[in-house]
Amino acid sequence: MVFDRARVRHIAKLASLSLSDAEADRFTSELAAIVGYVEELNTLDTTDVPPTADVQLGLAQWRSDTLEAGLSRDEVLAQAPEVEHDGFAVPTFVET
Amino acid sequence: MLSTVIAIAEQVRTGQRKAVEVAEESLRAIDTLDHELHAFLAVAAEPMIQQARLVDQARERGEPLGLLAGVPVAIKDAICTRGLVSTAGSKILSGYVPPYDATVITKLRAAGAVFPGKTNMDEFAMGSSNENSAYGPARNPWDCARVPGGSSGGSAVAVAARMAPAALGSDTGGSIRQPASLTGTVGVKPTYGRVSRFGLIAFASSLDQIGPFATDVRGAARVLSVIAGKDPRDATSLDVPVDDYEAACGKSIRGLRIGVPEEYFAQGLDPEVEASVRAAIASLEDDGCVVKPVKLPHTRYAVATYYVLATAEASSNLARFDGVRYGLRVREAHDDLRAMYGKTRDAGFGAEVKRRILLGTFVLSAGYYDAYYLKAQRVRTLLRRDFEAAFGDVDAICSPTSPTPAWKLGEKMADPLAMYLSDVYTLPASLAGIAAMSVPCAPTRGGLPVGLQIMAPALRESTCFSLAAAWEARLPTQLPPLGFER
Repeated sequence: MVFDRARVRHIAKLASLSLSDAEADRFTSELAAIVGYVEELNTLDTTDVPPTADVQLGLAQWRSDTLEAGLSRDEVLAQAPEVEHDGFAVPTFVET
Repeated sequence: MLSTVIAIAEQVRTGQRKAVEVAEESLRAIDTLDHELHAFLAVAAEPMIQQARLVDQARERGEPLGLLAGVPVAIKDAICTRGLVSTAGSKILSGYVPPYDATVITKLRAAGAVFPGKTNMDEFAMGSSNENSAYGPARNPWDCARVPGGSSGGSAVAVAARMAPAALGSDTGGSIRQPASLTGTVGVKPTYGRVSRFGLIAFASSLDQIGPFATDVRGAARVLSVIAGKDPRDATSLDVPVDDYEAACGKSIRGLRIGVPEEYFAQGLDPEVEASVRAAIASLEDDGCVVKPVKLPHTRYAVATYYVLATAEASSNLARFDGVRYGLRVREAHDDLRAMYGKTRDAGFGAEVKRRILLGTFVLSAGYYDAYYLKAQRVRTLLRRDFEAAFGDVDAICSPTSPTPAWKLGEKMADPLAMYLSDVYTLPASLAGIAAMSVPCAPTRGGLPVGLQIMAPALRESTCFSLAAAWEARLPTQLPPLGFER
């Protein structure tokens, strides 16, 4: 598995991270080492082993869907970096 | 100096001490020590005194007091506290004030606990030394040139230095047990689902679990008994009765079978740590336990498994930090939405968080999911089966918590992989979702704390508490050299 700078740039794009060139270089070598280490898992034969996605004891329950008061709009918007017209303000993302 | 959780609650309940006096003592200790130790990211002096006053007033009115009446409990900064800044140690949440309390906070408030403040941590709980805090690391009170462990390092330090008799942390791969070990405190990682995660800023949701630190085993037992239980707001919390953990602390351990896994006494284990842990196990044997070897053959794969699964979950959980609804926003006038996301996240996250988001995004990406993520999930099954087989033969498993005592600040920062490998003994219990705790054993010759890890099957926290309390009775509490007033 080749871990080069182009791959790190691609992953960073998927993760919405804009990295500086210095960061991209640093992460390329660090991630190459970590991924190389992780590949030791391939020495195990797991052909007939089912995956574990969670360690629930089979006891999880959904709560009943009853109405209750949530947070007020003001409380929620109070933490937003930018508010407009009682909503979260974001840059234009649809061309008109 | 602040005494224990149970002593304080009893003194406040009987009127021997006012809750306000206890709160003031906690604040004095923080004022004296924390400029050097940096356990707290925010001190909540006024709100704590106000909480304490309410406890005192309730007592004066003759109302029944809760199990933690007037007890200062320091809170890891990843746990949301209404009206108190909660940053998870990250710049991206700088100044964030949650509009709601985590369920554990609601429960602590109802039990009469008071909160001295929010404790330092590795950013988003990603780290083993506290050095990944965006606000500078906490320091180990036993030697300020050394790390306190992580990620819940600030909570561990607050308790070790007796700024609070108890604290809450969160443990995803050892983030309570390892700092407890490195600071000479008691730390409990409950069974996955034993404590509600509602209001815990998420790192890896299939692993995260909130638990207590305390100066002694009974104190930890009492805090856990308050925060444990089913919560309708967390579908993964278990609807199972909560045991009487304090009663478990007094229970005989005669006849309990303790497994000792050879894989946890392998290459890389500090000889002094090994000697101290083996002495503790021998003492439990003297107390009537049956000690026998057990095998956990997949232990060596735990680090790789964990760093695939935890980073995958983290990359997904941390997608919510986008500069829109809360926290930092970085945007230049001409930036579109995507550019704003990228710049906000680049400026707001530290190096380790970015590293893990990248790794997690990679193992989930098209073409690599099966080879890395699914593979690690299959190995997780093997690690669980190791424990199931071992617990067929023993009631508990004892090991070192950390392969080494506290290391020097900066020592492992240049090598992320070396830092990951320091979690080798705590990761398996997290991946298996079982109960585990760390309790102090004899320090090294250089005076650094060492932790004994006690692991038990899911929902058998009581077994951990019985063994830990029996061992603690043999080893008097040690205090860090901070010039306490006695």
